[in-house]
Amino acid sequence: MRLVEAVPAFLLIVLSALVLFGTADLVYWAGITPGPRFFPIWIAGVGIALSAALLVQLRRGTDSGTTDLPERGAFARVALTTAGMAAFVLAMPLIGVVPAVLVFMMFILLVVLGQRAMPSAAASAIVAGAIEIVFVRSLKIALPPIPFL
Amino acid sequence: MSTIELLTQGFTTVFTFKSLAFIFLGVVIGQIIGALPGIGPSAGMALLLPLTFGLDPATAIMMLAGIMYGGQYGGTLTSVLINVPGEASGVMTAVDGHQMAKAGRAGAALSIAAIGSFLAGVGAVAAVAFITPALSAFALRFNAPEYFLLAVLGITAAASLGGSPVRALMAATLGLMIALVGADPVTGAPRLTFDQPALFEGIDFIPVAIGVFGLAEVLSSLERAHDMKPIRTRLKDMWLTAAEWAESRIAILRGGLIGLIVGIMPGAGASVASMLAYVTERRFSRRPERFGKGAIDGVAAAEAANNASAHGATIPMLALGIPGSASTAVLLAALVLHGVRPGPMLMQQEAVLVWGLIASMFVGNVVLLVINLPLAPLCASLLRVPYVFLAPGILVLSLVGAYAATLDMGTVWMCLVFGVLGWLMIKFDIPRPPLVLALVLAQLLETSIRQSLLLSFGSLSIFVERPIAAFLLVLVAGSILLPVIGALRRRFGGI
Repeated sequence: MRLVEAVPAFLLIVLSALVLFGTADLVYWAGITPGPRFFPIWIAGVGIALSAALLVQLRRGTDSGTTDLPERGAFARVALTTAGMAAFVLAMPLIGVVPAVLVFMMFILLVVLGQRAMPSAAASAIVAGAIEIVFVRSLKIALPPIPFL
Repeated sequence: MSTIELLTQGFTTVFTFKSLAFIFLGVVIGQIIGALPGIGPSAGMALLLPLTFGLDPATAIMMLAGIMYGGQYGGTLTSVLINVPGEASGVMTAVDGHQMAKAGRAGAALSIAAIGSFLAGVGAVAAVAFITPALSAFALRFNAPEYFLLAVLGITAAASLGGSPVRALMAATLGLMIALVGADPVTGAPRLTFDQPALFEGIDFIPVAIGVFGLAEVLSSLERAHDMKPIRTRLKDMWLTAAEWAESRIAILRGGLIGLIVGIMPGAGASVASMLAYVTERRFSRRPERFGKGAIDGVAAAEAANNASAHGATIPMLALGIPGSASTAVLLAALVLHGVRPGPMLMQQEAVLVWGLIASMFVGNVVLLVINLPLAPLCASLLRVPYVFLAPGILVLSLVGAYAATLDMGTVWMCLVFGVLGWLMIKFDIPRPPLVLALVLAQLLETSIRQSLLLSFGSLSIFVERPIAAFLLVLVAGSILLPVIGALRRRFGGI
């Protein structure tokens, strides 16, 4: 068993512990009825039991799951894309949705995916235009606007 | 009123310009989404759910359902022309469909897939129209214990049919933990909010579904290069020979029946249906050696089954309020978000919506037949758009869509977090549908078990004393024990 394969089990144990401690101030049983802590306790118990079952399966080699971690290049693309999305979310209220879309699209296409400039610019413009037409013009949703316009 | 009269009323709801336009939009989006590798109908429905908030519930549900079954048709294109299934249920279609395409019979494979999907789809919708009211009427006898066990069955059945039941149940547990955040559904006491006001109302379904299905799929697809070279097809290649039709018609009937039955079962989805139909067809075939080398009846059976299954899964959702698949879980969440209360009373309280939805599925299947027969070569040309240009657009649509749903940047951040979680789930082989199923069923699970124990003064005997509950308990136990027995048999060599 590689330690990395056990990550889901450890993570669920941590979350189960969080549920147990996070609901410690609630009552399990109130009079004749289960209280607000009743369900969380059982869910946390099931979480711990399932994690233990996965750990046993991994140790015995009977687990049918396969951990498929990406190679360095693929991981870099995913990490950069995630960072790009976080930057996009931060930028939306600051520079407006449409400029943020253009910048994000160009970043992903040029930097992350290594595409040529002209098709990337065209694709970015199409997506930014579509967002403006669908969300702002058609659905009248108040997306963060471009400042000073 | 009889079923026919109610269905006629449903058609009057559908035959308005607005309804027809949104059904058309839904099935076209479904067709496109189904054809995009990695983006399945559940992801597409989750992404577009926020855009339906300006619509009335009936129109919104008709459109979202159109994406659900449109996705089954669309997946055929990539399966046959590039051997990359658009979603898991297209795997069996790719086995023989792509072999046919390589042999110059791509048109015939697409034709039989469209005809098979259409005939099985229409048959399944007719079954939905007749079975749903009967099941709904029967479900009026259900009380809290039965609902608790039905919800448990929805989760355990989904887990038992996947690769690793333990991993699937872990995903479901995670979904239940997410649902614990917010106010306690019975007393209203804040739970796991850690004094953060933003968490008092709980974690919304939309960012979870968009993140876990939509963003995660795109992140995963960006890991690998998409060098897709679709095999070309022409309109004149779409004609089937008499021999091909003769070989396929019984396969469509068998596949459709298998798909419908599998679709009604909680937890089983279109992937299980298409695989079961394909294996059954090979067993019944007089020339099973053709399977895997371009057998048209293999394509027909698999496609008929996955479309019938998608429609069949709406039966438990409409009659009981229990989703049978990830797609119907999104559809159920859409109902709730539009202010409609699912459950056995839905047929009476929302008759216009339910019968409109059923009628819309007949109309949607006709539209999809037209799109997939004469317009198949045109649709196939969509596959020439490089995926790398679509992927960032899907990410943008997801994030902006999440913001549009609540006008709250917190939802967008949540969406991003669940996107990364969904990607990790893909990497660690933890299935995502049980998480979403559990999230949708969590409130029903908790309130019904607490009501049950209140009714029985804390005694668990209430789950065995009532006949229907006892029967459901046996099913739950079976769905847990069957994979265990299967694993033991494999381990000890068939003992």
